[in-house]
Amino acid sequence: MNSRVLLATALAAVLIWAAETGPGEKYTAVERRHWAFQPVTKPELPVFTLAAEKVWAKHPIDAFVLAKLKKEGLKPSPAADRSTWLRRVTLDLTGLPPAPEQLAAFVNDSSPTAHEKVVDRLLASPSYGERWAQHWLDVVRFGESDGFEYDTHRSDAFRYRDYVAASLQQDKPYDKFITEQLAGDEIDPNNHELRIASGFQRLGSLRKNAGNQEVASSRNEVLTEMTNIVGAAFLGVTLGCARCHDHKFDPIRHKDYYRMQAFFAPVHDSNVVVATDEEKAAWESQKKVVEDEIKDLRRQMKGLKGEERERMQQLVRNAEERMPAPPPSLYSVQNDFDKVTPVHVLSRGDYQNKGERVGMRALGVFLPDGAPELPADTKTPRLELARWVANPSNPLTARVMANRIWQHHFGRGIVPTSNDFGRMGGRPSHPQLLDWLADSFVANGWRMKPLHRMIVLSNTYRQASRSPMETAAMGKDPDNAWLWRHSRRRMDAEQLRDSMLAISGQLNLKAGGPSVIVPVDGELVNLLYKPSQWAVTKDASEHNRRSLYLMHKRNLRVPMMEAFDAPDFQTSCARREESTHAPQALELLNGALANRLAQSLAARLDRETKTPAAQVDRAYRLAAGREPTAKEKQLGIDFLRKQSLREFSLAIMNLNAFLYIN
Amino acid sequence: MPLHCRPTRNRREFLTDAFCGFGTLALTSMMFEEQLRAASGNPLAPKAPHFAPKAKAVIFVFMAGGPSHLETFDPKPLLNQLHGQKRPKEFGEAKYQFVTNEAKILGTKRTFKKYGQSGIEVSDLLPQIGSVIDDIAVLRSCHGDMVVHSAAQYQLFSGRILPGFPSMGSWILYGLGAETNSLPSYAVLPDPDGALEAGQPMYMHGFLPAVYQPTMFRAGAKPILNLDLPANVKLEDRRQTIDLIRNLNQAAIQGSDSEFEARINAYDLAFRMQTEAPEAFDISKEPKETLDLYGVGKEPTDDYARRCLLARRMVERGVRFACVVSGGGPGGLQWDAHEDIEENHIRMAAQTDQPVAGLLKDLKRRGMLDSTLVLWGGEFGRSPEAQGGKGRDHHNLGFTMWMAGGGIKGGQVVGATDAIGLHAVDNPIHFRDVHTTILNQLGLNQDALSYMHLGRKERLTEVQGQVIRSIV
Repeated sequence: MNSRVLLATALAAVLIWAAETGPGEKYTAVERRHWAFQPVTKPELPVFTLAAEKVWAKHPIDAFVLAKLKKEGLKPSPAADRSTWLRRVTLDLTGLPPAPEQLAAFVNDSSPTAHEKVVDRLLASPSYGERWAQHWLDVVRFGESDGFEYDTHRSDAFRYRDYVAASLQQDKPYDKFITEQLAGDEIDPNNHELRIASGFQRLGSLRKNAGNQEVASSRNEVLTEMTNIVGAAFLGVTLGCARCHDHKFDPIRHKDYYRMQAFFAPVHDSNVVVATDEEKAAWESQKKVVEDEIKDLRRQMKGLKGEERERMQQLVRNAEERMPAPPPSLYSVQNDFDKVTPVHVLSRGDYQNKGERVGMRALGVFLPDGAPELPADTKTPRLELARWVANPSNPLTARVMANRIWQHHFGRGIVPTSNDFGRMGGRPSHPQLLDWLADSFVANGWRMKPLHRMIVLSNTYRQASRSPMETAAMGKDPDNAWLWRHSRRRMDAEQLRDSMLAISGQLNLKAGGPSVIVPVDGELVNLLYKPSQWAVTKDASEHNRRSLYLMHKRNLRVPMMEAFDAPDFQTSCARREESTHAPQALELLNGALANRLAQSLAARLDRETKTPAAQVDRAYRLAAGREPTAKEKQLGIDFLRKQSLREFSLAIMNLNAFLYIN
Repeated sequence: MPLHCRPTRNRREFLTDAFCGFGTLALTSMMFEEQLRAASGNPLAPKAPHFAPKAKAVIFVFMAGGPSHLETFDPKPLLNQLHGQKRPKEFGEAKYQFVTNEAKILGTKRTFKKYGQSGIEVSDLLPQIGSVIDDIAVLRSCHGDMVVHSAAQYQLFSGRILPGFPSMGSWILYGLGAETNSLPSYAVLPDPDGALEAGQPMYMHGFLPAVYQPTMFRAGAKPILNLDLPANVKLEDRRQTIDLIRNLNQAAIQGSDSEFEARINAYDLAFRMQTEAPEAFDISKEPKETLDLYGVGKEPTDDYARRCLLARRMVERGVRFACVVSGGGPGGLQWDAHEDIEENHIRMAAQTDQPVAGLLKDLKRRGMLDSTLVLWGGEFGRSPEAQGGKGRDHHNLGFTMWMAGGGIKGGQVVGATDAIGLHAVDNPIHFRDVHTTILNQLGLNQDALSYMHLGRKERLTEVQGQVIRSIV
């Protein structure tokens, strides 16, 4: 056979193979070339010649931003005034408004490190961990109930929330934070904090039903949840798209999806009881009393019909309500190598439609073609996965987190689709800046606080939200992608509720612990399958705690939070919507919380000030973080001549000056 | 190629996403519409559909818990012959929530009668609906993927078996905007008896902006939360407060500011809802003849009749989607007849037959039926086999729903189940086909009505649905 025939035969074979298997397992150079899959670079800083530009671009962040603005024919806006900056940075870092005393102190602090002092104070405050925990909980779709029919409460899930807040507060390195969540139980099964962290695997909703169990399909749903969240939260890739077929746009093969899923094949729920032996015994005996009672009722029920039977069933239900709450435990997972779910490539994601069985391997596009799967007897599969995810050489992980932090400071990420760095996600507006941030993040030991500090102290962040050249700039860049000003934002649901509590003097700053159930409209509670689940927290002072501590129940969200675009805890939320609609106005005008807190704010103004003028002044300093303008002051004084301080206080909590962050 | 993952760039484009892939011309005009909408500052301003619509609104009379097709619209004489026997092998397999392979076929005590010009058979449980059968297209071959309530209810409403996806009401509101300023455009009127298994997430807007959320109506005369002033506040005083809010907000606006203006508008709208909506909820001024038509003021129809009448009054005032739920609380209070099909269905049918028929008649005589699509059905049907002797289990492989109005051609039957009502064998209709058909009547294209979420172009129908051609 001559070489031409050989070549032709080989080519034909390749074509047939390609036709039969699609793109196959290999990844082409083009597929590997996508920007987000390239190693993070250390970009060179832009150089400026004009003195004014050199001053503005003193920090690398500002240099990258200014270079882009110049290229686009735009200019940065002037710096915001001090009170605007203070309110912005305080709400961004802590989710709470600055107190008037802090405002006065900062405005009068002429030292060159005044801004630095503020930022360091805010980053050190416990409120920082509480604020930024919510951002992470959004991404991991943290909920404290199962969802679906029973929506059973996960009375120990709050420990994960506290773990997140504490980790952020102590500035735990992000690679460690990832590893603990993915593999805490593998690292040290006896370490409570690590066990709580690995509850991450169980945060998704969970379907349970009475009657014949669909064991295989339920298990498949659980493994799917565990797999997809790794893509969304850590890697910023839409892994879930490859569950049914090869990813249509990103180089993730169907088979590679299931190789990722294989890391979770041995994972099973595990509740680590942390009660003392006495507590356990007490619970067992109380439980037995109720169980015996139910057994007895059921015995009596045999043979009964109609109304009598219904009456007995009600007695059973009543008894069930009296079942004592289980002793505290850690909501966690662990491997059970005797119960490893065989992972197959599932055609169309259908658990009954099994293809080839696969083993563990990281995403192929980041590996040499033909890279082997991990041995099936790997003892710590998720620790292996975590080593790959949290590796400094992983091109996605640091970029994705740096981008999230940026997004929460500017309202928009450098990559606008912060859960999707794939080919269909948004392109980075400032790719070099993103790399510079990611590189600094890793170089600073994956610590977030230094990153925050750099960002909020930059001239970019200090810009006003109004620009003298607004009309022209809006024409060129209506989204403000090039950062020619600071983007004004509406407070999110938590900032809004917490700020209302804070300015009215009612905020209870107690940290951590079981979640709080606040009163909501009874008809809404009646829409729960088990209305008794909404057991309002008895101690009313708890109702004034930060929104982070509100019960995150999947089947009943607090209406006010819902109206202001809080996510639904069902799927990962990378970025909150900011919608504007009448039910928001109704909530703030007629809602029980707004009216209660208006009363409190009125009492506070009455207590702290003497004259209507002083009341208007104080209210603006509390709510808007600034003095009122002459016109605002006059309108307020005129109103107070005829109307009550309570109505004025309600108006204050409805003002754009309060609801928006400039 | 699945169309749920088409490219997009950023959030600002989210609304225009809805129109990608729908032809450049359409895209351009839609973007123009969108700009107009954005300029008006009201995300709920009416929006042109993708093509000429037949319907403007939908009323879903939701028979929650799973009404039996075998006792309502799908007569199966063979059941009585096979009563007490095991299912013959030739009918194939089925998976139920409770009953096992040992279960025996349960005959039906219902009798069926031909109604109207079309002569479609309806059981003696629903004679009043029978009387308007010529307006109804009976879909006898519906099927879904799940046999448990919660997941099946999610699929019925959102096309997915998981919570977290927008319901059809939210999608429709997102696609068409609102025609009313003083009422919530997507209303759910739950059964005061209590909750359903899937809970509120079934009706929700999922990842769509909160502006597209449903309003959950409360029982009683004051159905909307926060529409009433707190007890100790007078309306005149509150008007002054709202004026102060507007004046202070306007004082703080520099130049033109569409977002702040939108928020000022939202307060005007809220005040208008507060003053105008109660009129819409007050059915006491309806003529007695109309109240009687629905069955208001007598048992067992009063409650459902009131809610059906309320739905008509809202659609009359421009509401897009109203869901009137029959069934709530424990299974026996829904159509979930595990224990006794007779007792349960006689009771549930008696509560709803006249109100639903009254609704169709009332819509028709007011000339509203042409533009209002009425959908009847539950999340599944019920098993040919008995559960515990007298009940029927859940059954998702073949069951009946129906549509009327909104351009639907009535007086016909579509599809068929096999001789015992087990499998949809002729012209099977999946929930996704029901969704696609509803969107089609509203002038919406299932692919164009989409929203970018987590890197996927999500839509109501995950897998492409088919319009039920014979009825449109």
